[in-house]
Parts: sequence; structure tokens; C-alpha cells
Amino acid sequence: MTIGAVGAFTARFAGNQTATALLGANKLRDDWNAAGLAVKSQSFGRETLSRFLENKLGVAASIVVVLLFLSAIFAPFLTPYDPLVGVPTDRLFNIGTPGHILGTDEQGRDMLARVLYGGRLSLLAGFIPTVVAAVVGTAIGVTAGMVRGAVGTVLMRFMDMLYAFPAILLAIAVGASLGPGLNNTIIAVTIVFVPPVARVAESATRRVVVQEFVEAAHLSGASKLRIARSQILPNVLNDIIVYASGLVGIAMLTAASLSFLGLGAAPPAPEWGYMLNSLRGSIYVAPLVVVVPGFFIFLTTVAFNLASDALREAMDSRL
Amino acid sequence: MMTPVTPIGGPTPLLELSNVSKEFVVHDAGKRATLSAVNQVSLSVKPGTTMGVVGESGCGKSTLARLIVGLHGMTGGEMSFDGAPLPKSGKRPAHVVKQMQMVFQDPSSALNPRATVGESIGFPLSVQGASRKVIAERVTQVISDVGLPANYAGNYPHQLSGGQRQRVNIARALALQPKLIVLDEAVSALDKSIQAQVLNLLKDLQEEYKLTYVFISHDLNVVEYMSDEVTVMYLGQVVERSPADRLYENPQHPYSRLLLSSIPSLDPAESTRDTAMDQGSGEIPSPINPPSGCRFRTRCPFAMDVCATESPEQVHAEPGHAVACHLFEEGVPEEVRLSA
Repeated sequence: MTIGAVGAFTARFAGNQTATALLGANKLRDDWNAAGLAVKSQSFGRETLSRFLENKLGVAASIVVVLLFLSAIFAPFLTPYDPLVGVPTDRLFNIGTPGHILGTDEQGRDMLARVLYGGRLSLLAGFIPTVVAAVVGTAIGVTAGMVRGAVGTVLMRFMDMLYAFPAILLAIAVGASLGPGLNNTIIAVTIVFVPPVARVAESATRRVVVQEFVEAAHLSGASKLRIARSQILPNVLNDIIVYASGLVGIAMLTAASLSFLGLGAAPPAPEWGYMLNSLRGSIYVAPLVVVVPGFFIFLTTVAFNLASDALREAMDSRL
Repeated sequence: MMTPVTPIGGPTPLLELSNVSKEFVVHDAGKRATLSAVNQVSLSVKPGTTMGVVGESGCGKSTLARLIVGLHGMTGGEMSFDGAPLPKSGKRPAHVVKQMQMVFQDPSSALNPRATVGESIGFPLSVQGASRKVIAERVTQVISDVGLPANYAGNYPHQLSGGQRQRVNIARALALQPKLIVLDEAVSALDKSIQAQVLNLLKDLQEEYKLTYVFISHDLNVVEYMSDEVTVMYLGQVVERSPADRLYENPQHPYSRLLLSSIPSLDPAESTRDTAMDQGSGEIPSPINPPSGCRFRTRCPFAMDVCATESPEQVHAEPGHAVACHLFEEGVPEEVRLSA
């Protein structure tokens, strides 16, 4: 076999990748790895995304989340029924009844319509508290982590105080004192979520603040605020995003629990937790229909948690 | 020989420390205690030269570095930069901030993992209010100064090797065109071969930009290579100060000799095992309750009664070569010279 044939053989089997690598190696030799690295250089966001896409379960979960959101937003286009108005003669149809795929509830309202419209309230109740708590908690945690001393201690001990209550109990207490209604539920859940986020932010900040690049930033004369923004925040945001994404499911559950207890969305609003509560009496008549809102709570929570786990993995492997 | 230590001739020092001390309040077994990290340190660094600071880990070298750049405030003593006194608190006036920078030890934690090389180097400039155009030009300039290809500006630290990261750290320190750079164990985390490259780079930069270095390291060979003058520290105090070549040829203080004899040698005849110096190879005492008098006396093979009661003054063993040891107050004893 001639050398040329060996070369052709190698090229065929090694394929494209090796050819690119060889090209890279030549460039490295010419100009010490100037070219090699420039090709690899890509932003943190893109790296995370490419790793996230490798996780099939995470991608599937994210697709479910997106579908849930789209179905809630476009509910009027997906069902002809009004979620608030029922037909009294059509009460508690079972799943699969023609015209009512998911059956009807105890007042004869179409379950599919109620679940789709209800998604709006439930997803809001999951998202708004998480986002607000993430912002407020991060501000408190980063401040406490950077300032330390009396201010930091007072802030964090106050957070610990709130943290000492079981989450659902605190939510009930806040919800009860504010009165029923979805807005108050959202406020209650937000208050419950601020302390854990603040804790995550504080411990992440403490970890970052002692690193030498923060001291280098001090040396360049930067103010504390500037250091918090440019050096600390980008390095703690990861932990917070990952933690907060896991909270969305819990927030929905808490909001649903409050509604179930009569502290959340007021009837006849189609909120999943409230639906579960009002259908509970019909469990022996139409058990499958009763399960529907519970199934959607379950689906959303699991999808959010799986997506958040995948996000955590994709982000963590960087550090 | 009891002459007080004064800088010998030459231009005015760029950095001058006199009796600088730093004590930390610590909680030791539930009690408040003071930890004397740096005690009565005096040194002066002439412009364009390198002052080496050497000592074991825990001797206060890094605290000294932080005191100089202002990351810690002093608890005692005075410091002046370019003839002007610096405040005790560690706050640095704006013009001093630009002229004094530091290169940190750990190349992996000294760079913001979320910032590109260009952003890290440009950060001090943007803090100081430079325009985007100026920042871009300056970043390009210093990246090439430290021997990295220009396209590295867009890379993240995790894409670089340890040596490359340390070059970026140096580039960041250079960005503001400082007069003084404090290098705290700047090459200790690097492989030997990379160390040599970085040391040579530092020397080239010093020559090109007339930089003044305070070079802190536990590595005696590296300090000898880099320094014009060397300060030997033990438990927060200066025990010996000398031109670099004199220290290595003719160490005076028992601790300096212990340090120098601890450089591994390939010649069995130079072994320090079972010699007088071998006794001194114990643990460094805690800085929370340092030994009274001379802090080295607990490990010193020549310790005398006076060492426990009085702290030794610095005396000149030869011109420009100061040593703080009771042995030398009456001139250098012959038997000490011989037994070393």
C-alpha cells in the first residue's frame, strides 16, 4: 500500500473532524494557538444552551412548559366554550364526551376551557412570585453578603425568622391577613419565597466576594455598587436562576393550595387549585374529571422541575 | 555597629514604610485575641528597582502586600508613596490608585470567570472613566505587552492555561500604567517552565516601563533572580534586609541562614541534616501569641537569655545590609560565622 493510499484511507475513515483538527494543529504551529482558541471562543450563554440541548429529558420538559404557556395564552382560540358560563343540564359529563373532551364540571362548564383559561391564573401565580422574589431576594442576599457586619446580620436573621415558618403556614398566615383573591395569593407566595432566595444569594455572594478578582476590582477604585453589579452579580446569577426555576413549580402548588383552602382566586375564576376544591365533592360521580386540574398542576410542576434540573446541569459544568 | 537603618543614598524612595503594623482581632477558642500579622515593618523601595520579600507561609508577606495596596488598613506606623503620606485606613487617593496595582497569586480566582479577558483588563480603565476608544487601544496594547495574541481579548478565563491567565493578570495590572506593582506570589502557582517565562516577562516589562516591583514569594531562587534588594520576614517582622547578592552570599540572621540552607542541594556534602541549623526546622509559632523578645528565638540554635526579654534592633552588618538579631549588636561573633 502506498503512502497516498494510507492517507486516503485515513481521511475517509477519520472523517471531517480529524481533518479540521489537523488544520487546527497546523495553525497552532504557525502562530501559537492564536487561531485554535478563537474558534472555540463562544459566550457563556451559547455554551449553556448547547449543553442544555443535549439533555433530552430537559428539552422535552421545556417543550411541555412552552406548550402550557401557549395554550394558556391562546385559550380563546383553542376552545369555543366560556370557562365561566355552564349549561346546568350538562353537569359532570365524563371525559371523552363528544363536544367536551375533558368532560364538564359540577356546574356544567367545559373542563377543557376551564383548564386552559385556568392556566393563565395558575402560571401567573407560579411565575410572578418567583420573579419578584428572585429580584428582591437577590438584592437582599447580595447586600448582606457584601456588607456583612451589623447590616448583613440583621438582614439575614430577619430572613431566617421568616424561614423558620413552614412555607405553607406562612403563606396561609399572610394570605389570611390580606384576605382572599389571586393578587393577595401572589403577594403571600412572594413573601414566602424571598428568604430562601436571599439565602442562596448571600451564600453565593460570600463565596464570590473573597475571590481575588473582587479585590482586584477594589484596587482599581471601583465603588461597592459597581463591584456588586459588574463582578458579583454575574457570578451569583447562575445559582439564583437555577434555584428560582425550581421554585416556579412550588409557587404554583402553594398558590393552588391557598385556592383549595379558599384563600386564593375567588369563584368562579378557573384556577386549578380552586377547581380541585370545588370538584372534590363529585369525586364519586366523575372521578376522572376531578383529577383533571390535579393532573395539570402535576404536569406543570414536574415539567418545570425537570427543566430546571437540566438548566442546573447545563450551567454547573462550567464552574 | 549600632547605626540606625537609613536608606543609603540614591533617589528618593517610591514607597516607604516605617514601623508599619497590622493586627487583626480574631476569636480564638471563644476569646477575643489579637493576631499580630505584620509588626513594625520598615522598608523603602527605590524607583525602578525590585524589592523582594521572602519568608515562610504565615509570616505576613501577603498581609504586607495588602497593606501596601490598601486592601487592609494599617493599625500602626506610616506609609508614603512618591513622597506623599498615605492614609492609615487603606483608602487611596485617586491618583495613587492608578499608580499602584497588584498581581494576585491564584490565576484561577484572580479573573472574573464571567468576564472576557478584554473586559477584565479594561475594567480598571472604565472605572477610572476612560472612553471606550481609549480602553480598546490600551487593552490591545497591554495584551501584546504581555505576549498574548490580540484575539485573546474575547476569550474567557477558563479557555486559558494557568500561565496565560497570569499574563492576563499582569496585563490588568499594567492597564492603568502604574509606577508600582505588588506581586504577591505571582508565579507560585505556575509550573517551573512557565514560571521562568513569566519572570522574564516581568523583567522585560520593568525595563520597558520603568516599573517598581515589590516581589513577594516563598521561593528563594525566584526572589534572588528577580530582586535588587531582599527583605526577609519572620512572623510579621523584618529580620534581615540586604542587597540581593549579599544576602545569598553572606546571610547573617540565623533565620535567613535556615531559609537558605533549606534550598535542596544535590551535593550530599552540603546536607544540613544533623547540623546546628537542623534544630531550627520546627513549626512557625502562632502569630496570636508570638514569642516575647525576638520572635525567632524558639527555633534559633543561638538563642540567648536576652532574646526572650528584648526585641532586637536592626543593625548594619555591612553597608546596606541590616539585620535584627542580638548576636550582631556587639559585632558578628566568630563562632556563629563558622558554625553556619
